[in-house]
This record gives sequence, C-alpha cells and structure tokens, in this order.
Amino acid sequence: MTELIAEIPTWSPNAAEFLTFSPELAWVGTLCLIMLAPLAIGRDARMTAGLAMVGIAVTAFFTFKVMGIVSTEGPKTGLTPNLAGGMLIADNLSLFFKVLLLAFLIGVSVLWMSVSAAKEDDAPEFFVLLIGSALGMSLMVSTHNILMMMVAIEFASLPSYAIVGFNKHKRIAAEASLKYMIFGAVSAAIMLYGASLIYGFFGTLDVTLIASNVGPVLAAGGANRLLIGLAMFCVFAGIAFKISAVPFHFWCPDAFQGAKTEVTAWLSVASKAAGLLLLMRLANVFCQNAGAEVLRGVAIVIAVVATLTCTIGNLAAYKQTSIKRMLAYSSIAHAGYMMAAAAILVDAGTVESFTAISAVLAYVVVYMLMNLGAFGVVALVESRNGEDDSITAFAGLGWKSPALAIPMLFCLVSLVGIPPFAGFITKWYLLAALGEAASGLYWALAIVIVINTLISLWYYMRVVVQMFLKESDTPAADVPMSGTLLVNVCGILLIVLLVLSNPLKERADRYSAGLFSPVVAGLAAQPDEESLARSNDPVGGEPVAKDAQGG
Amino acid sequence: MDQHLISWIVFLPMIAGIVLLFVPRELVKWVALFGSGLAFVLSLLLFKTFWGGDAAAIFGDTYGTLHHVERASWITGNKFNIEYFVGLDGLSFPLFILTTFVSLLACLASFNFDSWKINKGIKAYFFLFLLLETGMLGVFVSLDFFLFYVFWEVMLLPMYFLIGVWGGERREYAAIKFFIFTLAGSVLMLVGLVAMFFYSADAVAEYPEIATSYHTGAPLTTGTFDLIELATNDAIQKYFGAASTTLLNVRFAPLMFMFLFIGFAIKLPCVPVHTWLPDAHVQAPTPISMILAGVLLKMGGYGFLRLCYGIFPVGGEFWAGFLAVIAVISILYGALCAMAQDDFKKLVAYSSVSHMGYVLLGVCVMTTTGFQGAMFQMIAHGISSPMCFFLVGVIYDRAHHRQINKFGGLWLSMPRYGSMATLGFFASLGLPGLCGFVGEAYVLLGTFQAGPKFDWAYTAAICAAFGVVLTAGYILWVIQRVYLGSVREEYKGFPEANGREMLILAPLGALCILLGVLPKQTVFDFMNGTLNLLVDQMNAVTQVAMAATGG
Repeated sequence: MTELIAEIPTWSPNAAEFLTFSPELAWVGTLCLIMLAPLAIGRDARMTAGLAMVGIAVTAFFTFKVMGIVSTEGPKTGLTPNLAGGMLIADNLSLFFKVLLLAFLIGVSVLWMSVSAAKEDDAPEFFVLLIGSALGMSLMVSTHNILMMMVAIEFASLPSYAIVGFNKHKRIAAEASLKYMIFGAVSAAIMLYGASLIYGFFGTLDVTLIASNVGPVLAAGGANRLLIGLAMFCVFAGIAFKISAVPFHFWCPDAFQGAKTEVTAWLSVASKAAGLLLLMRLANVFCQNAGAEVLRGVAIVIAVVATLTCTIGNLAAYKQTSIKRMLAYSSIAHAGYMMAAAAILVDAGTVESFTAISAVLAYVVVYMLMNLGAFGVVALVESRNGEDDSITAFAGLGWKSPALAIPMLFCLVSLVGIPPFAGFITKWYLLAALGEAASGLYWALAIVIVINTLISLWYYMRVVVQMFLKESDTPAADVPMSGTLLVNVCGILLIVLLVLSNPLKERADRYSAGLFSPVVAGLAAQPDEESLARSNDPVGGEPVAKDAQGG
Repeated sequence: MDQHLISWIVFLPMIAGIVLLFVPRELVKWVALFGSGLAFVLSLLLFKTFWGGDAAAIFGDTYGTLHHVERASWITGNKFNIEYFVGLDGLSFPLFILTTFVSLLACLASFNFDSWKINKGIKAYFFLFLLLETGMLGVFVSLDFFLFYVFWEVMLLPMYFLIGVWGGERREYAAIKFFIFTLAGSVLMLVGLVAMFFYSADAVAEYPEIATSYHTGAPLTTGTFDLIELATNDAIQKYFGAASTTLLNVRFAPLMFMFLFIGFAIKLPCVPVHTWLPDAHVQAPTPISMILAGVLLKMGGYGFLRLCYGIFPVGGEFWAGFLAVIAVISILYGALCAMAQDDFKKLVAYSSVSHMGYVLLGVCVMTTTGFQGAMFQMIAHGISSPMCFFLVGVIYDRAHHRQINKFGGLWLSMPRYGSMATLGFFASLGLPGLCGFVGEAYVLLGTFQAGPKFDWAYTAAICAAFGVVLTAGYILWVIQRVYLGSVREEYKGFPEANGREMLILAPLGALCILLGVLPKQTVFDFMNGTLNLLVDQMNAVTQVAMAATGG
C-alpha cells in the first residue's frame, strides 16, 4: 500500500470534483441532519420522515445535476487521480442506480409511514440506518477499486445488520440480525483475504490494472494459477454475499423473515441490486482488459453460480409457509437470473455486454416495482392481523380486499415472468441478451432460466390460491390509504411498462451504452475528447445504440 | 373503423369487460353479451373479404397474402423491432370466426350464472371471460411471434381463475394443472422465440442476396419476429433448413420444431401430455368447457400450421414418423378412455383427445388433403364439442350429477333436447352428412396419399381408421344409456330445454348439418387457397434442403 499512501498528499480536489460527488455529500448531510434534528424538534415520526424526504429531494437535485454534467461531458472519475480509474466513478450506471435508490427510498418510506410510523419510537435512528445503507449501496456501484469496494460493502452492510434487528422486542428479529452479521463478517473476512492476496500478486487494487496483468502473471508461472483463482473467488464471495448467491445465501431467508417487512423490501431490492451492479461493473471492466482464456473460466464460474442460485432459490421456496421466507427465496432466484447476464459480460464481446447491462438495468427497475408491491401488500396484511406472516393469512383476501389482492396478483405473476406484466418483458430482455451472445453456454443458461420460470409458478400461485380460491371468515379490516395507493401504483405500472415498454428500454440502453467510456486498457486517464467519442460510439458503430445515445 | 376492424374486434370484448366493472350487478351479463355479440357481428363483416371470387384473388399467389393488415412498431430498443402486426389469411380467418361465434354462445350459456353453485363475483367472472376472448382472438390474428406469445400467455390467468374459482369439486387442482402444463409448453416456445430471432439475423447476414422481404421488397437486414417473413424469406428458410445450422450441437430445424411442437401439443392436446384436459374440462363450468373445447384446443392445431410447418417444414419431415405414432395413439387411446368413462363430461373430454389426434395425423403427413382435413376437423370439432359440452351441462343443471349409468330415457321426458343431443353426438361420431365426417375422411385420405413419401403412412391410416369404429362404439353406447330406454322415475319431471338453451343449441345443430352437407361452401372455400400455398411453400423448402443435403 505504500505507493498508494505516498501519492495521496498530492490530491487537491476542486469545486468541480466536489460537485461530481455532491449526491453522496448530500446524503451525508441528510444523515447528520436527521441525527441532530431530535435535539431541536423532538423525535416525532412524521417530522423525521419529512426531513428525510427533504434530504432525498436535495440528493435527487444534485443527482440530476451530475447526470446533466455526465451526459454532456462524459463520465467523471475522481478523488484519487493517481489511479487509472479513480476511487470513485460518476457515470451513467452509478447515476442510474442512485436515481433508482432515491425512488425506492421514497417508496419504502411511504410504506413505513403507513404501517409502522404510528407505533415507532425510534424514527430518527430508523432513517439514519436506512439512508446510511443507501449511501453505502450507492458507493458500491460507483467504484471498481477493490479497496473502495470493501469499504462500500461494509458501509452498506453495517446499517443493514442493525436495521434488520430493529424490531427490538422480538426474539426472531435479534436472531435474524445476529445471523446476518455473522455471515456478513465472515464473508467480509474472506473478501479481505482475497484482496490481500490480489494486492500481493499485482501490487494494485484497481480492477482495470489487475485485469490487464492477469494474463502475463499467469503466463509467467504455473504455481500462481490456483492462488489467483482462489483470490478472485474470495473477492467474488464478498459480492455474492450481498447478492445472496448460492452458496452464500443462508442469511437471506432468516434476515428477511425477522426484519420488518418494509426493511425486507428494502434489502431484497436495494442491497441485491447494488451487489449485482457492482458485479456487472467489475465483470465489464475485467472483460475489457483481460485475455480470453481467463475470461472463459470466470464466465463458467459465474454461469454455474447463477444456475445454482436460481434453481436452489426456486426449489427452496416451494416448502415455505411464511410468505416473507418465500419471497426471500424468490429474491434469491431473481438474483440468479440477473447474474446470468454477468456471465455474458465476462465472456462475450462489447455488443453483447451492452445488451446484457441494458437487460439487467431494465430488470432491476421492474424487480423493484414487483418487490415493493409484493412486500407492500405483505406489510399491509401483516399490520392488520397481528404480524402473522404465514401464507394462509392471505386466505380470501381477493374477496375481502381486492384493492390489496389485485396488485399482489399482478406483482406475483410478474415475478413469475409471464405476460401481460413487465416481469415478462425484462425476462425477455435477459433471454435475448443470452441469445445474442450466441454460444452453447448461454443457450444452456437461457433454458435454465425458462425452466426455473416454470418451477417458480407453483409457489407464487400458492399465494394466489389463498387469495382467490380459499375462503376465510375473518372480516375485512381497514388498511391505510397511502400504503394501498402505493401497491396499486406498483401493480398498474407493471402493466404500463409492458404495453409501453419503449421508454424503459431506451433509458436502459442509453445508460448502459455510457458504461463503455470511462475505463480503458491503459494506465493514464484519457483526454476528455477521446472519452466523449467513446461514449458516443460505445458498441463499435452499432446504429441503434447511437440513436439511444442521441435520444 | 374499416381500417382497424381487426383491432376493434379483438379489443372490443376487453373494453366491454372494463365497462361492466362499473355498471350495476343486474346489467353485467347484458354488457358482456353486448360485447361478445358485437365482436361476432363485426367479425361477420370480414366475410366481405373472403366471400366468393376466385381463390387467386382472395388468397394471392404466395403464402402470406394477408387481409385487414395493421402493423405498427411496438417495442424497438437495441436491434429489436417488435411489431403490433395483425392480419388474416385463410389459415386464421375460419378460426377467428369460430372464436367470436363460440364465445358468444358461451356468454349466452353463462346467463344462468345466478343459479350456479358458486355464484359470487359475477363481475369478475364476465370480466375474465371477456379478457379470455380478447386473448384468444389475439392469438389467431397475431403475425408477429412476440405479439403471438403475449396473447398466448394472456389467456392463462383468466382461464386459471375461471376454472379455479367457478369450477367443480376439484377445481383448484384442475386449474393449477392447466396452468402448469400450458406454461411448461410455452417456456420452451420462449427459447424458440429468442433463437428464431437471432438465427434469422444470422440468416440474412449469411445470404444477403436472397433475403428479399415479402413486405418491403428490399433485402432484409435484421432479425425478425414476422411469422410470414420467417416462413417465406428465402435466406431464412435456406439457413434454418441447412444441416450445418445447429443450436447446442443439434440441428436447428428439428430442435426448433420440437420446442414449438411441445407447446402446441400440450394445448392440442395429444397423448402423453393430455392429462390436464380431462381435469380442466370436467371441473370447468359449462361455458368455459365450451370455450376450452371449441377454441383453446384449436390453438394447438393453428400453431402447428402457422409456426411448426410454416417455418420449419424440414423439422416436420424429420419428426413425421414420431408424430404419426403420437397421433394414432391419441386417436385410439382417447377413444378407449372415453369408452371407459362413467362421468358424462369426462367422456366428452376424452373424445376431444381422440378427435384432436386426427388433426395431428392430418398435419404430420404434410399433404394438401391432410392439411385440409386437419383444418376442417378443427372447425367441425369447434362446432360439435361445445355443443356436446353444453348438452351435458343442460342435464347437469337439472340432475346435479353426471353419472352416465344413472341416467336413462331422457329423450322421452325431454324430446326437443333429446333430438338436439342425438344430432350433436352423431356429429361428433362422424356420421356422413354431419360435420365430423368430412374432416376425418380427409385426414385418412391425406394419410393414404402420403404413402409414397412415408412408408408408415398406410399403417397409420389403417390404425387411425379403426378409431372411427371405437368412436361409434362409445357414442352409440352413451346415447343408449342416457337418452334411450324407459324413463326413470327420478327424471320424469325434468323440464324441457328452455328458450335460452335452444337458442344455443339450434345454431350449433344447424352448423353441424350445414358443414356436413356443404363442406366446400362453408369451410373449404375460405381456407383452401392459403393451405395450398402453404403446402407448395413447404414442399419447395424441403426439396431445397434435401438437395443441399444430398449434394
């Protein structure tokens, strides 16, 4: 680390550089504000939520501002200019994710307001933890330096451990929190071990440099091969823990069951999406710089993990009686589908990479809507029948409260991935990306995904059966208006995004196209004109991509 | 209106379905009747296009001459151009009319909803019913594979609920079985959808000089979802049929044929994937059984012709012997099962398996006569089997059971109904002069004609002809047990079929006779043009492929 430390003193950030990372700074400011506010205005839940909304609005303002800068001037790297890629990157991918996180934060807050706010005494702490983990997640997606990556993962994880145990009076919550933390600590340790090995081999933690050196180092001697593979797998394990990819998924059902449902919704989407996009970024950087023989091996590892993840996730969901556990396994399966796209990134050329990232971005957006809607309904149903999270609690819901059951139906069928819901179109984008990569491995992955679709139908339909085909004599209870509105918006958007899916696809294409500019095989930072030219021509003269960039 | 006639007909039921959610309960069924009635009346306007004249003027001189075409870009994005592309030709027109007709009658058959055992949620019932109609109509008119797939899947959920909520004792089991079987078929179709798109892109890149599009006249440069383009573009057909084109190291055309075939075979259904059908039919309420038998099963046959044989004739040739075995087994096994049934409705259900076996036999020999027979068989079965199901429904409404052996002498107590029943069952039997005969005769004739091409054809024809004897056996036997003999005490007071019931039975009965007496004027004239062109196209492609393999 000596080189790295030695060069930091030369760093002197200017205003432009601060502006590039103003969304993160705004988030930090919001955190401080919410922590200090109770001293002045008390611990009222609504006030705190209002403050959080103001913070989100300010962050959104800066995020869009940076988006404007990035779209005209190209991606920015920053904070440690001595490294090729920089410690932090502000590009289309990270900004896309920040916008998604902000929207999702609003959704989760609305849900929290309608089911938990009334009985919550510790609102400021809740929001500090929630926004703190959001900050960590947004940092995860903004780097391809392993050191920064580890800091970001820890930054995202620590508040998550605490927020899972936020139901302080419940034994199950404490147990969930502890399990989550132990798993997290172990995987962080594994990742750290891998990172130290990698630093030993390559003398750097920047993935760009590692990728371009991996071929020569392997060629130099046979003894290193296994160790390098092990080191890379260790780093991969840390990310796989966040994604809850098999075999690092054991924490997921327990944590999701013990946490408050709105927290579960948050973790099921935000934490996994952050891990996935980080994996996509690393895979993308790696595949542009490493030699083909290394890539093939990495692609097969990711493909195997993806296959295991979706298959085991779906099979384990069968026997669950708690809907939160079932949806937890469902989220594991969905992470597996998305990981399949990361395998393409590593193995294939630029055109397919572009399609794959675009597919995952679209998938993440729709996945957020589906999970927010589904967990939203679970939270609302739980809140009115005494925190019973068994699937049978949904009996007869379709006839008692259609306003909850119908959006739930939309979300569940969309999770299966069949028309007329947006879950289908995004699954189709994934399959199309696999098909475009045109090799036996990806066709096999495509077949794995469609067979898993079929497997998943059975357990999602168990809830539908309860809601519409079973009777129940418990009378309908009142549900909060705001929560009902939220889940219905999610449900309706799922149909809208199928019928009018062009805007989503165009944006996903545009934001993924920009990803190919910042990182280049080479050491020095590129002049701005050149990187601009790259961002305009991301996939080797692909006409449609150009249009997407222009539009 | 005239320009968008098809779209109006397809979406009118859905619009009516949305309207009826907002009207008072007692008006609901009238709105539904209005919706499906108007769709039927509008569909009659289509006869203007297909009536009279010479075949060449109506059906053109190449496969893919369409009428009432509407095409607009739907989802574009990276390289895809998914279109809203609908139109009619001789293949889809008769089935389209059949759908509006059977739906109208089924809607009328639902009019006694209030007297059903489960009569909650009348609005939901009719809404789902009309949504189902839109889905079915959409499948027959879609000429973009993606759109076809969306409509194909849109039918699943309404059908699931219609069986699952308003069905008989074992409705839950039957509904999920239907869902899982159908989805199992369509997931492989989804892989086919992806593969066909990217392989067609490869095809036009491989043979740009013969890639002239039927639609624009210019060479095609991208992949396509256009079902007509896929079938008629020389470059695509040459590439798809070539022995060197492979997917996962298997020859492309036979593999794709199988992927699509499995989906359609489940829908048709043929042995051994027929087991969902007896359950679904028996558990579904009468009008839904009518739709299932009258329309849904036809989608399998339509899919064979439009996709399997239209696009992969080489695959059809490859699998012909295998398909013939399945077809003959379906015919004989279906008939034997029907004979063994004690439940009246189950008997009719198994008779459908047997009758649909003729459809498969007719298409698998790939002769003009066979194709014509298969199409005619579908239309004829689309008339006779809803009639049979309704006939069973009428006595079930009165007796509240369906045990064949407990009935007897119903003709005496209900003479009008008894006459209609005999007519319907004789039509199903295939009595000359009624509609069932023509299709079976053509299929057997077509199979004999294939003798020079396939050495198994005579054996297949002889075995299948034996099915006619079995059919006569079980139908005559059931007529004897239920309708003939002396009146049993408990059925003496049964009221005669009322006006509504006669209103449903009379047009079906009239068509049974009309189609049997004037098969050319009522059916063949509307479809032979397209079928002949399809067979010509198919022969041309298989000869090219054979020449290529031989050389």
